[in-house]
Amino acid sequence: MTRVLLVEDDAWLASVEASIISDAGFEVSVAPHAPAAIELVDSFHPEVIVLDVLLAGSTAFALLNELQSYSDTGMVPVILCTNIADQFDAKQLKEYGVKKVVDKTTMYPEDIIAAIRGVL
Amino acid sequence: MNRGEGSFEVSPLVAAAHELKAPLALMRQLALRLGDETISSAERQRLLQQTILTSERALRLTSDLTKSARLDSALFQLEPINPDQLCRDIVGELQPLFKAYGRSVAVKGRRHPLLLVANRDLLRRILLGFSDNALHYSQPGTAVHLQIQAFKKSGVVRVGVRDFGPALSSDMWRTLQKKLDTAPQAIHARPESSGLGLFIASQFADAMNGRIGAVRHKDGATFYVELQASNQLSFL
Repeated sequence: MTRVLLVEDDAWLASVEASIISDAGFEVSVAPHAPAAIELVDSFHPEVIVLDVLLAGSTAFALLNELQSYSDTGMVPVILCTNIADQFDAKQLKEYGVKKVVDKTTMYPEDIIAAIRGVL
Repeated sequence: MNRGEGSFEVSPLVAAAHELKAPLALMRQLALRLGDETISSAERQRLLQQTILTSERALRLTSDLTKSARLDSALFQLEPINPDQLCRDIVGELQPLFKAYGRSVAVKGRRHPLLLVANRDLLRRILLGFSDNALHYSQPGTAVHLQIQAFKKSGVVRVGVRDFGPALSSDMWRTLQKKLDTAPQAIHARPESSGLGLFIASQFADAMNGRIGAVRHKDGATFYVELQASNQLSFL
């Protein structure tokens, strides 16, 4: 079963997204902030990371920098799932390992699953 | 509403749009999930309650924005208020929201009652805003505390909201302190915040001749409002 790490600081949204991902047959683990995500990267060994940008404590880019610092974690594809998708240029995000950007304000449940399958 | 150059890094309109985007996006996702016919009745009830509570949070922000925009033309009655009682009322109001998020909220009151001079509605809005912020940044299972302190020498009463969550980084703290020194203006307390909530709080505090501030802890932060103690304090 493919392991998906979901990093989302809104507990209710995380619950909804985790259910969608789990219902689609993925194993999902949720981190509410970047430090918890880093711990899960080490213990859960995700194959895909679905990452909110505006997190409590630090932004997603602190986590992306950390992931890119190591050759193994730097290879894990990242999907940004954010309310500010319109502020990013997907090309500029590539160097952070970001493969796709999903707009949280317009996405449908199947979009997040399609994004995950698209980066595997 | 704009207080001049440099008072907001983005316009209040943009900040308001940003702040409302998150609850609206959440409500949309909750509604989409509700449309899933396979979910259980209990799950449906939970999602409905979350939708209602999220809409109420968003509506509080829109109400504060309206109030903030009309501050200059409005007349606010300042009166002696018992902050302990007000905090208990707020805790009663917020309890369902905190419970739904797996957190609790409580008043850390004083042994001896005191009064401060404020407008009840504005002070309530400030504390609701701080509490809402604390809810978001506190860790699951923790309690948010509404605390009251008196400073006799300066004749000030401080009402604060303490959360237990990720600490503010030193850089963020320096930025916050710099901006707090020149409040009222935008205060970017935490990375995802546009600062709008604190901007509104600082306007409300200013209208009551008070000020807002923040204290950083190893495990969270306290955001507070300071107001003049009431002379009626001596009669208690």
